[in-house]
Amino acid sequence: MQDIFQDINKQARLLLVPKAYFAWQTLLLLSLFSLFVAAALESIAGNDFIGIRVLTTLSWIFFISAVWWSLSEAKNLKVYGFRIDPWITGFVLCLFLFHPWRSDLRLRWAITSWPLISTGVMALPHFVNWELKTSLPNDKVKKTLITTLIVNLLLSSWIAFHFRIQDWLRDYPSLAVRGFDESEFVHDFTASDRQQPSQGAALLETMTSEISQALTDQPWYQTERWLYTRQTQLEAIFQRALETLDSPAESVFWRLDVAEPRRSGEGYALDLRANWVGPASREGVFYLEKSCKILPVEKPRPRVPQTGGTQTDRTQTNSAQTNSTQADEPQPIARLTSVSCGEDSPTEKFIGPDAAVVSPI
Amino acid sequence: MEYEPILPLRMVVFQILFLLVAIALEAGILRQRLRLGFQTSVQYALVTNLAAIVFGWIAFLVLEPLMPLEIEAQIINYVLFNQLLLNGWTTEVGAILFGIGLIAFFGTFFIKAKGIEFFLRSDNAWQPLTKKPPRLPRDERYARARGTGIELGQSNARFIDTIIQANAASFSAILLLILLRAFVEGQGG
Repeated sequence: MQDIFQDINKQARLLLVPKAYFAWQTLLLLSLFSLFVAAALESIAGNDFIGIRVLTTLSWIFFISAVWWSLSEAKNLKVYGFRIDPWITGFVLCLFLFHPWRSDLRLRWAITSWPLISTGVMALPHFVNWELKTSLPNDKVKKTLITTLIVNLLLSSWIAFHFRIQDWLRDYPSLAVRGFDESEFVHDFTASDRQQPSQGAALLETMTSEISQALTDQPWYQTERWLYTRQTQLEAIFQRALETLDSPAESVFWRLDVAEPRRSGEGYALDLRANWVGPASREGVFYLEKSCKILPVEKPRPRVPQTGGTQTDRTQTNSAQTNSTQADEPQPIARLTSVSCGEDSPTEKFIGPDAAVVSPI
Repeated sequence: MEYEPILPLRMVVFQILFLLVAIALEAGILRQRLRLGFQTSVQYALVTNLAAIVFGWIAFLVLEPLMPLEIEAQIINYVLFNQLLLNGWTTEVGAILFGIGLIAFFGTFFIKAKGIEFFLRSDNAWQPLTKKPPRLPRDERYARARGTGIELGQSNARFIDTIIQANAASFSAILLLILLRAFVEGQGG
């Protein structure tokens, strides 16, 4: 038992305490030391002290140098014959340069430039020696370095392309309604029958709630006039609703389609149809539909015109005038509007070759 | 930001596949026509093709955000849904694709020519390849000046010719593979 303990102790000493002072362990200890001093300073002098930043930066630099030095001494860090130590050092260097945990943009830059920075780490010893004298490497090394640089540029491009695709999906989330099975570029790791709702449902919900706000309890003749000028009215509502989307960038890919209002009973049925005109697969072209019933209701007209908001003011002044002429009549009846658009939220309907099979309706 | 679990892995696989095809073809042509060694030809073909791909990627990554919305929608449509035509946008697509193909061909040709020249120079193999032919007897020189000589083709022209041929071979092969892929998919789905 004691032997084991002594052994571990010896191993730890060997690892941490340098045999010579000119060794990477010195740098690691220096890094830890500056970190401790920085922490101590922070507890005494608070967060804003400039020395803390200097010391943390120093600590990072010592740490990176220690990692670099220790890895370049390790001889067996090879994957399929390639030395991977520049990529580990490059990783630590990226952490220091970009602080990727601070924001998404920094994270992207860190990941995208990781291969390039690692190439720089790999190339630097070939250009600068320990005495800081610069020299050009010989032709063989130069060729290896160029090849490595090109391969790493390719890796960086792939990573940048990945983030570009993620940007598309963030800006235009309705692209993902039917998954990307047909793509020759991307693989979708969620289930192949991805059924992600598009933003169209939210769009139509916003529109219908605004329509019912605009029409409810309006006098019926005004509603009919509104329906007569529905194109401009609905277009304005549509534009406002597009702005409230979670990702307003994709509003360029939505078109509103308003059919002639159908007569239903005494009132009308107004069909709203939001067409997705953006990129979609052959079977994935879709639209969403929601129908609103606009009906006249007979309501007793209030005698004292003080309830209601600004929208009903005009009606009430009208009614006040009629009231003054026909003051003695019994409780008058007003034809007001009621709007009901149904509770269930609209779902995507696909127009494609096999729409009958695919459509969830 | 939330990231969707969508990775461009198929692109990576196809890119590597096309790269292998191009390297195989071009290395063969380089070896045959420039009398380079087997390993050297493969190395040159690999590096120059990688360089061409990287230039293409940089061009795409720089230009794509600058594109107007219609073209961006086309790009998204192709990348995510493997379709070229959106909303009956046909003539422009044809012209643009043709233009891009032409630029790509001559761009890659230039990169490959310069890259292989650089590598040959650093291997000290450039001079023997393009050295002036030895001084010829007078009547033969006259024959050349009159344009009746047989060996008028300088080595440099031969070099350029080889690169164009290699480039054309790899472009045709990759185009064929892409068409084949589209055809197979049209059959399958």
